[in-house]
Amino acid sequence: MELPINRTVAWLTWRQMFAQRRIWVAAGIALLPAVVTVLFRAVADPSAEQTGFFAVLQREIVLGTLLPLAALVFGTTAFAGEAEDGTLVYLLVKPVHRWRVVTSKYAVAALTTVLVIAPAVLVPWLLLDDAALTFGIARSLLAGVAVGAVLYTAMFVLVGLLSKRAFTLGLLYVIGFENVLSRSGAVGAKSLSIREFATSIAQSTGDAAVVLGAPAVPLDTIRNAGAVILVVTLGIAIWKLARYQLAERV
Amino acid sequence: MSVIELRRASRWYGNVVAVNDMSCEVGPGITGVLGPNGAGKTTVLHMIAGLLSPSSGEVIVNGQKALGTPETYRTLALVPEREAVHGFLTGFEFVRMSARLQGLADATGAARRAIALVDLESAQHRKVATYSKGMRQRVKIAGALVHSPRVLILDEPFNGMDPRQRLHMMEVLRQAASEGCTVMISSHILEELNDLADSVLVMVAGRLAASGHFREIRKLMTDRPHTFTVRSSDDRLLAASIMRDASVFGVELGDAGVVVRTSDRGAFTRNLPRTARDAGISLREILPTDESLESVFTYLVNR
Repeated sequence: MELPINRTVAWLTWRQMFAQRRIWVAAGIALLPAVVTVLFRAVADPSAEQTGFFAVLQREIVLGTLLPLAALVFGTTAFAGEAEDGTLVYLLVKPVHRWRVVTSKYAVAALTTVLVIAPAVLVPWLLLDDAALTFGIARSLLAGVAVGAVLYTAMFVLVGLLSKRAFTLGLLYVIGFENVLSRSGAVGAKSLSIREFATSIAQSTGDAAVVLGAPAVPLDTIRNAGAVILVVTLGIAIWKLARYQLAERV
Repeated sequence: MSVIELRRASRWYGNVVAVNDMSCEVGPGITGVLGPNGAGKTTVLHMIAGLLSPSSGEVIVNGQKALGTPETYRTLALVPEREAVHGFLTGFEFVRMSARLQGLADATGAARRAIALVDLESAQHRKVATYSKGMRQRVKIAGALVHSPRVLILDEPFNGMDPRQRLHMMEVLRQAASEGCTVMISSHILEELNDLADSVLVMVAGRLAASGHFREIRKLMTDRPHTFTVRSSDDRLLAASIMRDASVFGVELGDAGVVVRTSDRGAFTRNLPRTARDAGISLREILPTDESLESVFTYLVNR
């Protein structure tokens, strides 16, 4: 029985994640909430409610914006660049099953997203040092980040394999569906929104609901819809790479 | 003994036929795949390497189809034409990655040996992004040779290499072939394969135009009619005088000068100055007009 992760493909993908300017993008995403928190503490009224600020920062900026953005950058990096510049061929002509190439790259992209977003949750939490913001709240948020990263990344890895304009398409999805349609109250949109899943997971655990608000999507829905999204997107990605042929003509 | 076999293999993209009903067998040693740009060389090599499926027919390597059979790559390696290599890796890391993907027990040792083989030791710890085109070609070859494949497919591998590197790389390929490796190497430059390939497959417009020993095919090429355009002080008189030359079998008077078709290029170019002098004509320009590789190949197809 082969392991789903090939260590060398994972190592290569890890190096890809932070190559070129992506290291600065990652640093920017990881540290932006900390900068916002420092500014809040410097200019806000001392009596201002820190928990309210933290809730909005995490719900809207971290889970609503930075998480899908990080997943988009790292998810599309997994394949889009290699397919375009022709370096993917070096993985395809090796005795490694193509499904393992997909699962290895996906796992690294999802892990990288979690690692980059974790400081965006933890550093503001540490900086605010508020008794009302228990460790349970930070832990709940990290659980939401993990679920969001797993689902978003699967989707963006697939988009990276399907299109040369993966980043643009992904950005349109994040803005159009996740941040406009799912917030508009359109029927069923919330039940398919990964942003809502991540936020609801964070709100559903420990004492986070008091600070972050009540979850909008039940856990059962998240479990079922999340499993479908994961299986379908990764399944198509594996199917696509297994049938991938060099498009180069003569 | 054939290692690679194409059985009526064709590949088309929409309405464009890239490879047309090609059948051939290739065994150990060095086989050149010659043809002008767009002849279908890369498509054939990609079908052999399992990166493209034939639209019809079969492509067999070591008794099985490479496409969808990852185990084939334990004995097969490809050096693609595109120079792209992961620029954020060092040359050594790239070659070691190939060794690890092959599952070699001593990947680091194998990478060191392959790097030494292509003479890239001094630059092995530099990022590939800083490499010249020739160095990228060599690191790609090192990555392909790291597991000592029995079948090595190289698509225009000498692009960007200087003459010294080219000679060295030819020696490396000869060595691999002498150890029983089946080396298939494509080029659109005839001279490149002159001293290297034991046999060649000549492709034109997706078809196999000729195959066999290089010298025999080369002779066919040199025996073909040659065309020259000659400009002189009196083109009409020159045309009449040239017709007396036994090596000339066609003369045409045009705006650009006299177009001459000859079956013996050497005899014609020796006789022409004497013919012109005897007729009191000054020669101004002699241009061979169909010396392009494409015209040579086209002749092979149409002969």
